[in-house]
Amino acid sequence: MPASKRFLHPEAIGRIARLDLRARHIVEGFLSGIHRSPYFGQSVEFLQHREYTPGDDLRHVDWKVWAKQDRYYVKQFEEDTNLRSTLLVDVSGSMRYGSGPLEKYEYGCTIAASLAYLLLQQQDAVGCLAFDQAIRAKVPQRTRRSHLNSIIQALSASEPAEKTEMPPILRGAAETYPRRGLMILISDLLVDRVGLFKGLKLLRQHGHDVIVFHVMDDQELDFSFSGPTRFEGLELPQHLACNPRALREGYLEALGKYLEEVRRGCAQDGVDYVLLRTSQPLDAALAAFLSHREKARRK
Amino acid sequence: MPSFIHESLLWWGLPLVGVPVLIHLINLMRHRRVKWAAMEFLLQSQKRHQKSILFKELLLLLLRMAAVAAVVFMLAQPLVRNQWGALFGGTKTHHIVLLDDSFSMADHWADTSAFEQAKQVIARLAAQAEHQDTPQLFTVLRFSRARQLGRGTQPDLLEEAVDAKLPANLEKVMGALKTSETAAEPQDALDAIDRLPPKSEDEDRVVYLVSDFRANQWQEPVALRKALQHLDETGAQLHLINCVDSLHQNLAITALRPGAGTRAAGVPLLVEVSVRNFGAANARQVSVSLEEDGHARPAIVLEDIPPGKTLTRRFPVLFATAGEHEITARLQTDAVAADNIRSLVIDVAKAVDVLVVDGDPKGQDAFFLSTALAPGGKITSGLRPLIESPRYLRDHSLEQFETIFLLNVPRLESNEIAALEAYVKAGGGVGFFLGELCRADFFNDQLFRGGEGLFPLPLAGPAELVVDRLEKAPDLEVTEHPIFSVFAGERNSFLSTVVVSRYFAAQKDWLPEPESSTRVIARLRNKAPLAVEHKFGDGRVVAILTKSSPLETSLGSWNNWGRNNPSYVVAMLEMQSYLAAGRHPDTARLVGAPLDVKLDVAKYLPHVRFTLPPENGGGTLAVDAATSPGGNSAILSDTDASGIYQAQLTLTDGSQAIERFAYNVVPEEGDLTRLDGTKLAGQLAGIRYEFHQAGDINYNPQQLAGFNLSESLLYALVAILLAEQVLAYACSYHPFSPGGKR
Repeated sequence: MPASKRFLHPEAIGRIARLDLRARHIVEGFLSGIHRSPYFGQSVEFLQHREYTPGDDLRHVDWKVWAKQDRYYVKQFEEDTNLRSTLLVDVSGSMRYGSGPLEKYEYGCTIAASLAYLLLQQQDAVGCLAFDQAIRAKVPQRTRRSHLNSIIQALSASEPAEKTEMPPILRGAAETYPRRGLMILISDLLVDRVGLFKGLKLLRQHGHDVIVFHVMDDQELDFSFSGPTRFEGLELPQHLACNPRALREGYLEALGKYLEEVRRGCAQDGVDYVLLRTSQPLDAALAAFLSHREKARRK
Repeated sequence: MPSFIHESLLWWGLPLVGVPVLIHLINLMRHRRVKWAAMEFLLQSQKRHQKSILFKELLLLLLRMAAVAAVVFMLAQPLVRNQWGALFGGTKTHHIVLLDDSFSMADHWADTSAFEQAKQVIARLAAQAEHQDTPQLFTVLRFSRARQLGRGTQPDLLEEAVDAKLPANLEKVMGALKTSETAAEPQDALDAIDRLPPKSEDEDRVVYLVSDFRANQWQEPVALRKALQHLDETGAQLHLINCVDSLHQNLAITALRPGAGTRAAGVPLLVEVSVRNFGAANARQVSVSLEEDGHARPAIVLEDIPPGKTLTRRFPVLFATAGEHEITARLQTDAVAADNIRSLVIDVAKAVDVLVVDGDPKGQDAFFLSTALAPGGKITSGLRPLIESPRYLRDHSLEQFETIFLLNVPRLESNEIAALEAYVKAGGGVGFFLGELCRADFFNDQLFRGGEGLFPLPLAGPAELVVDRLEKAPDLEVTEHPIFSVFAGERNSFLSTVVVSRYFAAQKDWLPEPESSTRVIARLRNKAPLAVEHKFGDGRVVAILTKSSPLETSLGSWNNWGRNNPSYVVAMLEMQSYLAAGRHPDTARLVGAPLDVKLDVAKYLPHVRFTLPPENGGGTLAVDAATSPGGNSAILSDTDASGIYQAQLTLTDGSQAIERFAYNVVPEEGDLTRLDGTKLAGQLAGIRYEFHQAGDINYNPQQLAGFNLSESLLYALVAILLAEQVLAYACSYHPFSPGGKR
């Protein structure tokens, strides 16, 4: 399977395509309004009129139409964006776990590629940064559609191996991409929470809009193992032989606390947090992303 | 300590208890390896729950080991013997079968009977006992033999070792057995257990009472309860096995007896036959066939006998010759045959002697009475009156007389009174007629004696019944009494024409004692007693307080009864029959009662040869008489069959005499009403026993030897497995929802 196809999972792409077809406006027009740039850009070609609905910006009301027809219409433009997005993809050892068809690593890369595809479709600038305890690959921000291949190559070149060190990576990202934009972190977040929150805070302090896609496997969330099992750490040389059912309750309790801590930490820093299961359809992640952007636009 | 039926199973079964440990160890070695990212949470959980998990898993392991052990013990079938047997390590089981062979067990239906069912049950019990591992003994005792057990009678099987030969041996013994004609009771059989050889220390006893549980024996079994309680206390297990499943129609001849009357040759005698319906439905057109000395005579048909009711009919018999005569009554075949036949032996005399003692030498009273008792001519009453003076009483034996009449007797000597009282006490009958010669003082002082004597009432003296022309009522008012019953229902009874002018009045304020046998059976128009009866010893006394003769006396005429009034003859004959009844006590002999033949030493040699009825095997049996102060007596104890028993007596002159005795079954045994298990449980509350229907006897032989714990272990196993499941759930070994992943 060619590298471009590896992350653009046919099913995922198919679902995204359906999303496009279902609402062409989203990709080619309305999408532009969904993710508003932190800078006010210049308007470009007029696209169409749309009937005014409460909440629309009064600046876009076409007063000429009102004068002629006594009805409110807003003007919509196919607008060039100057949104700069950066995909921060965790490729550490812990991302190698997967109980379903996709490992967390593959799932994360698929999401990253899909988001890149989507963003490039609407001519946003997308960059990518694959990391574990250090930055493994770095792709600058570009708006060309062919830039997708660069991103995909960067992701595929990074084989998960080492443990994750989040603070220096996020600090490096802030330094690497000094202009304010959208930081999309795709990781299982099995890291030191203090360092994670410090890094996210740093990004926010640099003016970035941050969204975190927390990728977790079904087994990690449900822990439905049975039978005597020896668990061996993917990042650290730890192991535990046990009856997983007996430990399940305690595990889920600890996991719940962790997830709550992460959710709360992200909320405190103004970071959007999305928990994704590797069994979830990929369009659900993208839909969550679009929903997030819509929400951001309305702020 | 319990023993085990399959003890060898323990040797290879108990090591299996270690299997759960082995599986646990194997599982430890066969851990699945999983590369895991979220070790942090797993380690936190492990650190927090380590102790509780270890405890639960250890408990789970123990429960699983216990479950395996329970399965092994259950298959090995542990037996717990009774308390004492357990203490002494009892290993021998003695099966004691008490077999009801009373004639109600002959109750048959379809192609079987209660007794056949009982035999099959015993065969099955023996076959099951044969499969026991521990030594087994088998005893079979019939109810009918229980009473004589230890007195020359042995059980059919006594402590027979249970082995391969037992079934054949049992078949041989049981095949020949039939129901007896006795009404043998379970009480006898239960009591007989104590007369069996003593129980050894290592012996467990299982007692089976195989019977039909008739209501007449088990309805309020006070004595039975005691016997069963005693059995329970000895530690024996008790099994009650019922061989009958429903009530079947049964008729029984419950009585065949001679009625009152003169038992003399050529004189008609009424015989009563009673038939009882023991079934639940009406019996219609019941035919009772009769035989008289082996010759058939017309049958009696009873139209309708309601359930539980008895109908009695009388029929006349006439024997031309003196001696013993047989009468047999039979019913048609029904569920129980033994009570369908009943026999009677009547000893008929050539003539019956009656002593008439007249106080008046003229003998006018005696003339009228003896003429009434024996009118002469072609008609015979069978009576032979002998007219004598009072002196006869002290000079002669009174034994030969069935009845003695004392007419107008002025006084008696003390020895005469003593002889007379002895005669009545022995069953004789005395009739008094008073008259002008009688003195109230003598009667009161010597014969009445304040109620202790022969005479039934104290007298005041002669009295006159005043004629009242306005009074239309007859002079004589009789009660319902056998003497006058023949007049009952007659519209124009000759009794109403009897005129009584004089009589002996009773003392003023005299009334019969309520508890005494004294009864006024006839009164005069002025309500004064005229006839009073009284029982004295085994005999009867009737006093008529007027004269026997209608003739004129110094005081005038006393009555006109004996003058051309037929009722006088009838009443005198009835009075004679009534007084003579004490000489013929109801000697109904019942099966099982010993036949005791008294022998006059002066008349008979002390040897009797008994001839048994065919139902008792026929044949003859010579019995030597035992000497006792009262005279010799020869006793035949084996009378377990109904029919006619003959006793051949040898007189001192070498000649032979034959006496015959009719033995009949106990009629109540024909009552087939039975108690089912529920009602029986009510009667036997507090006694440990198991009730079975014969058809259900097929239980596990191991149960017979002791209490088998297998069933209890099964329940324990279920409990352990449930606990294991609960604990396994608590240890999170179960899915969280029916469709969830494991």
